Amino acid sequence: ASEAGRAPGPPDGGWGWMVVFGAFVSIGFAYAFPKGLAIFFKEIQDFFGTSYSEIAWVSSIMLATTYGAGPISSILVNRYGSRPVVMFGGLLCGVGMISAAFCTSILQLYICVGFITGFGLALNLQPSVIIIGKYFLKRRPIANGLAMAGSPVMLCTLAPLNQFLFDNFGWRGSFLILGAILLNCCVAGALFRPIGAGTALVKTQVTEEGKDALKGKFTEDGKEMSSALNVPMENKTEDEGEKDCFKKINQYLDFSLFKHRGFLIYLIGNVLMFLGFFAPIVFLAPYAKHTGIDEYSAAFLLSILAIVDMVARPTTGIVANSKWVRPRIQYFFSFAIAFNGACHLLCPLASSYTGLIVYSSFFGLAFGMVCAMLFETLMDLVGAARFTSAVGLVTIAECCTILLGPPIGGILIDTFGDYKYMFIKCGAVMVLAGTFLFIMNYYNYRMLAKEEKERKTKEEDPKSVRTENEGRKNWNKDSTQDGPELEPLREEGEGVKKEMNGT
Amino acid sequence: LIIGVSGTALQKNVSVGSPAKVELTCKLDENSNLKNPQVTWKKGSETISHTSKTKNSWTIQLTISDASHLASYSCILKGEVEVSATFHLQVPKIEGKEKPIITYEGDLAVMVCKTEYAPMNWTWSMSNGTELVAINPSSDANKFRIKRQSANVNRLEILKLTKEDSGVYWCEAVFRLGNSKRRFELKVLSIFVPLKPFIAVVAEVVILVTTITLYEVYSKNKGEEGEREFDQIEQL
Repeated sequence: ASEAGRAPGPPDGGWGWMVVFGAFVSIGFAYAFPKGLAIFFKEIQDFFGTSYSEIAWVSSIMLATTYGAGPISSILVNRYGSRPVVMFGGLLCGVGMISAAFCTSILQLYICVGFITGFGLALNLQPSVIIIGKYFLKRRPIANGLAMAGSPVMLCTLAPLNQFLFDNFGWRGSFLILGAILLNCCVAGALFRPIGAGTALVKTQVTEEGKDALKGKFTEDGKEMSSALNVPMENKTEDEGEKDCFKKINQYLDFSLFKHRGFLIYLIGNVLMFLGFFAPIVFLAPYAKHTGIDEYSAAFLLSILAIVDMVARPTTGIVANSKWVRPRIQYFFSFAIAFNGACHLLCPLASSYTGLIVYSSFFGLAFGMVCAMLFETLMDLVGAARFTSAVGLVTIAECCTILLGPPIGGILIDTFGDYKYMFIKCGAVMVLAGTFLFIMNYYNYRMLAKEEKERKTKEEDPKSVRTENEGRKNWNKDSTQDGPELEPLREEGEGVKKEMNGT
Repeated sequence: LIIGVSGTALQKNVSVGSPAKVELTCKLDENSNLKNPQVTWKKGSETISHTSKTKNSWTIQLTISDASHLASYSCILKGEVEVSATFHLQVPKIEGKEKPIITYEGDLAVMVCKTEYAPMNWTWSMSNGTELVAINPSSDANKFRIKRQSANVNRLEILKLTKEDSGVYWCEAVFRLGNSKRRFELKVLSIFVPLKPFIAVVAEVVILVTTITLYEVYSKNKGEEGEREFDQIEQL
């Protein structure tokens, strides 16, 4: 019987593009909303009579919660799937901002805007990225690039919108309306239709042609061991099937990732990179004003950055999807980071306004490139199934350096009275991170190729089955999850069914 | 206070908070086209004599002790081309919010005035049609509060706002050498004003979510019908 009508592999299109749109909105709010709030800070500072740093805490708490709640988000997605989590997150954001409109003290603002809205945004960010991995494989870099483009687009929309709301409704009215606007995350969540079983676990070193021959694996962290016997349906939810208590812990948050070589490389490289990632954006406008440029031109620099960023992200996605780059996507990522660093190192040389415009454009390009591939490379390293846990663990680790980056830059500026040391520090950190990732990924690719060759020679299966390219020890470690698939492989009937389902 | 100005025609505002001795210097850039110019200092339109000069700079010293001494002083360098620079000596300006302040009924309104140098006194008043009504916090402590956050910063709080509180407010800083004023506009809105767009957006969200859910249910039903047919064909 032919089952060509069913596509157990990721659809790579169709409803997937609606999901990309939903992720675009969701990710956009998650990244752009904290930045957009800065417009209200002066007024709130005057209103409550606090100092600037006390107000800045609102932003910091929000950012810290959004990144720090990553693992919680991952656990919830592992348990319930992306859709309910995002819709609940949207509701939480809305409630947070609406209650913030009625706050009477700065402490209440910390809670409403900082914690509640921050947590809601965390519940938006992770699941959006995760569900892209479930819907796309061949076109995943493009999907990722498009979804991540939500951040600059939302920022460009939110900044003037916030200003307009503020001029017409004051900060309280604005918070009320922003709460309603954040409820649109629920709409994005509604688009995240749960996808059935059979999402393939894929790895690097797979060319476009090779992917067609790829056979998908059926389980997602062992939840659906018995799904090999079930015909997967288009709209089946992800977490049906028996759960072994064995797999229960790993099912919620996969800590075995810390033994995954690729994951560790990514983690160290990214944690290092984030030390120098955001500080230049924070200080670009002040630096411009410092060199004598007026306020509007300085703000214009940021607009240039955002516009270039907007275009760079989907473009990078398309480039990363091409058959020359996709197998070597990790190198492309390291290059993008090092390029970013080089921009910052060269920035002190740009003293005129034209020089700064050039810097902003290149910075926008580099920033967009890195962001577009941020999650794509992680998916590439750990595979779509373990990505849920991986992204949670990565964001909580990045949380610290993200928060530290701008203050360290600020200290450098205050100590030396000159912005150039901050740029040098950021540039150096990023070049270092890029080089580290490049070298380590070269090593990783070599090891993966070696292990693949070893496994191939050991395989006696007549059909060339390409499973996940994990390291030897990781493969054994995951054998509890892989176990159920090996059995059907040995059985002829199941094997044939599996092969058919993989095409 | 010593200020140096070089090059082409420039303007500079100098804030003088209290009586002081002020030195104004015009310095000519070495690479300038002008060589050995004739220099005149002017207060407003009348010429005054300069106090000292060096090869490329000309200075005047002024004692500012009352308001009449606050004016625009300019140095004019005449040669092949004419270059001038003007210093505007004035009382410190007040910084505050330019755009109207939007608040809501029952809420608190805050107006903050900030100056570069501390004035002797601050006064607040409200514009009532054509006259200015002074605001006295002690007479109505439940309504008005004036806080002195620092010598340079003064803050008016208006509590329990009502629609009648909308209007124009003035903050005045009194210096030895004169006064500085700033205008604030206060708008008090009712809670229903932002509620309308709020409800509009919530309605939009509800409509979209419902549409998406209905579409999904519809396509699911279609899919199931198709599968039932498929299974029947398989059985055959």
